[in-house]
Amino acid sequence: MTTPTYNRVSLPSNDNVNPYVFCVDLNGQWFAQKGKMIAYYGQIRFESLSAGPLDALVAANFHSPLYARDWIVAQGQGKLLLADRGFDVNSYDLTDGNLTIRAGNLLAFEPGLDLKQSIIPGFLTLIGTGRFIAASNGPVHFVEPPVRVDPQALLGWADCPSPCHHYDHSYVRGVLGTAGSLLGIRGTSGEEHQFDFTGEGTVLMQSSEVVRDTETVLRDLEGQIGMLGAGGLQRLQHFIAQRLAVERD
Amino acid sequence: MPAFSPINSKMLQAPVGPGRELYSRRGAMLAYVGQVYFEPTVTAGAGIGGALGRAMAGEHVPMMRVTGQGTVMFGYGGLDVTVIDLQGDTLYVEADRLLVHDASLQSGTMFLGEQGGLAGVIRGQVTGQGLFTTTLTGHGSVAVLSHGGVIELPITPQRPVHVDPQAYVAHRGNVQNRLSTSLGLRDLIGRGSGEAFQLELSGQGTVYVQASEKKI
Repeated sequence: MTTPTYNRVSLPSNDNVNPYVFCVDLNGQWFAQKGKMIAYYGQIRFESLSAGPLDALVAANFHSPLYARDWIVAQGQGKLLLADRGFDVNSYDLTDGNLTIRAGNLLAFEPGLDLKQSIIPGFLTLIGTGRFIAASNGPVHFVEPPVRVDPQALLGWADCPSPCHHYDHSYVRGVLGTAGSLLGIRGTSGEEHQFDFTGEGTVLMQSSEVVRDTETVLRDLEGQIGMLGAGGLQRLQHFIAQRLAVERD
Repeated sequence: MPAFSPINSKMLQAPVGPGRELYSRRGAMLAYVGQVYFEPTVTAGAGIGGALGRAMAGEHVPMMRVTGQGTVMFGYGGLDVTVIDLQGDTLYVEADRLLVHDASLQSGTMFLGEQGGLAGVIRGQVTGQGLFTTTLTGHGSVAVLSHGGVIELPITPQRPVHVDPQAYVAHRGNVQNRLSTSLGLRDLIGRGSGEAFQLELSGQGTVYVQASEKKI
């Protein structure tokens, strides 16, 4: 097996170089997540979203202050190579559509799309027309609702009207079950919580990954703390103290 | 009807229904369609004795019982998934490599000393595997986890197979295993080849080897 060699011309245009690397034929501006660029040809500049000349673009297309620190704008002309942790990388085209995706797995998108935060923490929603690049642990698997998906295996969803939480702990019912769970003999199956999808649409799945981007979840929680009053904060503090005591055991 | 159908290299799909239950690693469910229930279990189909054996053996990877009616998708930690079909024979596999198996399979634990004597015990300690291995017997399917997929190597009486203990995933058939060492002075002074310990499998059967020396 020989290692394929590419130059500026032979690199694919807006296509996968191999399952793990995608090449964007840049001519203008793209939003890209920090640290996902692995190489480029041509004249490309990377600017943080706070750069003055980008104000209009950011105001029009980027509506997520929570994730603004993670994103940059690549502008210029050339071929831009994107990759992420050796994950499978794919491009998707939206035509006047909407798609929600795990924040850490979105690599880049065209300014034709609007980025917003999803109501489900840790996910971002893209609305409009354009192309975006996303990474998944293993190939992406598409399923039609109704389906229930493990939170870690969920990559995203398109056009689903009602993603909601589903809790399953019927085994706690009954005397034996209650005693067992109280004494900690039976433990939990670890599958009590899923995301439930119904209605028309498509759900995107990946092989489960160990969630390593607790950073985004944390920031999401911090963002929501503002909604709590003093009483709420005290209760939260109490809850966290309890959890800490459990974790230390 | 095939019990487990692969979706891609890291995911598989399995039907669940009356008389068709599954045991799976906890937290390995990716998604499901229909009414499916996940119950924690300590016995994993091996009975109380088996559970005690498992507990003593340190084979304590938590399992759950999957019941109901529907289709379930399984995968774990982005690891590669391989389906092995059993027709009345026995599969020997480390508990932490088990993703999911049919509840119709008889599950048990085997003391490594039974298969390879003292060497088996030493093997367990050297490789960091438990002294006990999980056995699955009967008719049904098993899905195992590996880094980078597995390859199947046949073992015949004339041709024993040597395997790096860390690359070993599972084996089936009438197989004796022995830890062969080629420790020399060079190893003692830290100039060894790094391949001093090998697992020698002889007899009649098949061994499954992963393309990596990484444990789960």
